[in-house]
Amino acid sequence: METIVSDSMVQNTNQVEGRAVPEKTLGEIQVDNPRMTARNVNVFYGEKQAIDNISLDIGMSQVISFIGPSGCGKSTFLRCLNRMNDTIDICKVDGEIKIDHQNIYDPAIDVVSLRARVGMVFQKPNPFPKSIFDNIAYGPRIHGLAASKVELDQIVESSLQRAGLWEEVKDRLDQPGTGLSGGQQQRLCIARAIAVSPEVILMDEPCSALDPIATAKVEELIHELREQYTIVIVTHSMQQAARISDRTAYFHLGKLVEVGDTKQVFTNPKHELTQDYITGRFG
Amino acid sequence: MNDLNDDFFRHISSEFNEELEALRRSILEMGGLVEEQLRAALQFYSTQDSSLLSKTDEIEKKINAAEIDLDEQVETLIVRRQPIASDLRLVLAVSKIVRDLERMGDELEKVGSLSLECFMSGSDVGVTEIQQIAEQVAKMLSESLNAFARLDLDLAREIFQREREVDKVYQSALRALATFMIEDPRNIGRILNIVWIARSLERVGDHATNIAEYVIYLVQGVDVRHPAVNQNSFE
Amino acid sequence: MTDRTYQRLDPQQAAERVKASINLRKRKETRFLWLGKTAVAIALGFLVLLFAGILSKGIPGLFQYYVTLDVQLDARQLDPSGQMTVESIAGGDFDGAILTSLYEALGNPEGRKAKREARRLISSGSSQRLMSYVLDNPEQLESMVSIQFAVDDDVDTFLRGLISRETPEADRRISDQLIGYIDALEAEGRISYEISDYLFFGSASRDAEMAGIRGALVGSILTLLVCIVIAFPLGVATAVYLEEMAPKNRFTEIIEININNLAAVPSVVFGIMGLAIFIVAFGMPRSIPLVGGVVLALMTLPTIIISSRAAIRAVPPSIRDAALGVGASKMQTIMHHVLPLAMPGMLTGTIIGMAQALGETAPLLMIGMVAFIVDVPAGVTDPGTVLPVQIFMWADFAERMFVQKTSAAIIVLLAFLISMNAAAILLRKKLERRW
Repeated sequence: METIVSDSMVQNTNQVEGRAVPEKTLGEIQVDNPRMTARNVNVFYGEKQAIDNISLDIGMSQVISFIGPSGCGKSTFLRCLNRMNDTIDICKVDGEIKIDHQNIYDPAIDVVSLRARVGMVFQKPNPFPKSIFDNIAYGPRIHGLAASKVELDQIVESSLQRAGLWEEVKDRLDQPGTGLSGGQQQRLCIARAIAVSPEVILMDEPCSALDPIATAKVEELIHELREQYTIVIVTHSMQQAARISDRTAYFHLGKLVEVGDTKQVFTNPKHELTQDYITGRFG
Repeated sequence: MNDLNDDFFRHISSEFNEELEALRRSILEMGGLVEEQLRAALQFYSTQDSSLLSKTDEIEKKINAAEIDLDEQVETLIVRRQPIASDLRLVLAVSKIVRDLERMGDELEKVGSLSLECFMSGSDVGVTEIQQIAEQVAKMLSESLNAFARLDLDLAREIFQREREVDKVYQSALRALATFMIEDPRNIGRILNIVWIARSLERVGDHATNIAEYVIYLVQGVDVRHPAVNQNSFE
Repeated sequence: MTDRTYQRLDPQQAAERVKASINLRKRKETRFLWLGKTAVAIALGFLVLLFAGILSKGIPGLFQYYVTLDVQLDARQLDPSGQMTVESIAGGDFDGAILTSLYEALGNPEGRKAKREARRLISSGSSQRLMSYVLDNPEQLESMVSIQFAVDDDVDTFLRGLISRETPEADRRISDQLIGYIDALEAEGRISYEISDYLFFGSASRDAEMAGIRGALVGSILTLLVCIVIAFPLGVATAVYLEEMAPKNRFTEIIEININNLAAVPSVVFGIMGLAIFIVAFGMPRSIPLVGGVVLALMTLPTIIISSRAAIRAVPPSIRDAALGVGASKMQTIMHHVLPLAMPGMLTGTIIGMAQALGETAPLLMIGMVAFIVDVPAGVTDPGTVLPVQIFMWADFAERMFVQKTSAAIIVLLAFLISMNAAAILLRKKLERRW
């Protein structure tokens, strides 16, 4: 379908209510000593471009949150970091994403071992329909992390303790994981992710299916985990981003508009689009 | 009411608890600085040691720094925690107490410099009256800070009592000072400065009353300022 | 764009209109409800009719008439060489022993005609029965034992009342004299109506009283075994490949369409194909469970593939994501997570496919399993037949007793089918895991 494109129309294609998406990301993309770096990442679903030339550093032992309106590409970008987008046939990723200076899309890298280093927690808690013990033990088993049954028991116990779940489930490790409450299931999934000793944990709206108390517990858990792991969290709740993250990145229509220290982004954002989104003027 | 104090620190988020605890500590420290200033003045009135008053400058700087720091803490708390209910009242009350403490600091700085002028010469006309006011006001200040620290409603109400006392003392002091001015017109200049000292001290008392009002707001959620406007009683 | 201004109904008007429409809606719903109930009743009614018919004809077929005779086991008569082996006994005169006891029971009838009639009383397989008895109980030699022998099928039919005494003797298969003998034996209480052991333990036979389904049953089981061993792994592997690993291109689409169409192909066509490929081209023997099983496997494969794919698709993607997220490879995800969760559905589909295959006659007829096999097949390469084919053949034979036995065999077949379906349901219930 041909439309006649006038100059004024071209000028407006990138604008949202009169504000242009910036060519260059505002704020500090780079950090000292990053755990992961992304440079010039583009992602296409078939013909449609979902991520447009994004560069970003993920800082070590920090929590960085991705915020932005629906469909802005934050989940897509998150899934690039552990190559979960590989499972989608029509998805094409180009650009450079490195962890500890290794490009994760290098053919020499085994995606299975990458996913042991970069773990993921999903929006809806998805424990395996196995016992609680087997849920946690599955990862270490397939990666051969435990040399003996005793070691495996230790890994399971320490993972559950670090997830703050041990006291609640230690007497029923053989019961199915699906029998726990929503909040407990999500903490189980977090324990499962940390059982393989990852360096980075990706979380895709981990609390959106939970009630406020469960959410608070998971957020407290994230706060405790940050010392040992690097955490990247996608969230729809700006209040959550303000509460738990050290850095915040604002995505808009597939571009990274602004990234910076959380307090600064939420008290004095550098870009009008960021300000409009977080104050609820659109989105 | 002490349960409320415990409640403040029972959030699931330990970080939130720490932030609130830090806020309380900061404001009580700031209060402590103001108390130090007032104590220096009181001691001066009894000992005539002028070195005491030189400290007021330093303390004033610390108080101003504390104001900036506390304002930033409040901003951070609001941005990060979006406090509601009792948490919100705490943050709002603290934000207002900061202002009153800072104003107290300003008034006490004036008191300090004026006291130095008026009582340096050795003449002690009017000292007694000033001392009386200052003692009462010192009590009010300490009581208001204690009321905040302990969230003690009874103590807060006592402050309102004491304010009436201070008022009486203030009025009688003014009468006395007026007499002094009539007795010896040469003293008028000096006595007038003493009147300003009295007024500043009375102002400090007003600010302490404000703090008491904020404590009631914090504990009961009732705004007891300007009873003529506000229909609520504070019982 | 229409330019009608829409008058907003106030709540009261709306409520009145709703009320007015309620009666009409209720009537429609009631009609639909009754339609459904009637349909279910009709279906149930036919089902009841079907079962009533089968059971009423078939249950009598599970029983047979026997005559109890006291037989003197004379060692010299029965085992002349004295070695008590199958070969040595084959030379013994079992018929003689049986007839002796029969004549005695009948009061020693005189004359060749009478004796011939008497002989017609008893089944020709009786000597076989006596032989196996002696082999099993060698210690009974030299004593007199009571053994039940089957009566001849015409006698059996008469005893059931299906041959009437009123019919003129010339039109009857049973002579008056024989009837007399029968009455005599009945008076002595020697005639009994028992569960037919021939039905279950005997093999195919032209003699209705000896006919049994053992051979066919074993043949069915062997054929099904071959079918399952081939169809299940192939079907599951194909389903897994198509769902999880095949690239989404034209070629895969064509494969899928073909598989779906194969499910609708008439089973006879598979039989013709089996005939042409296995028997003619490969030269495999006809009528063996191996070939039958392979043909049935090919026939069942589309069913298994389709139901397995549905079962795999029913596994929520969140489980796969979780497994991949923890670092499982594609194969590990499939083997450890998807397959166990899809297994109940796959097994159910397989069992239903097997139940279908069990009842198939046409393709097996095409590959020649209609041969008259007496011996029970010992392995998949021995000639055999299957239950439905046996029923088909029996339905053709003339003797009245075959009618009962056919219905009885149908009952057995139905029982087999029902228990397979019940197994499917139980298995599904047991293996179902909540996710």
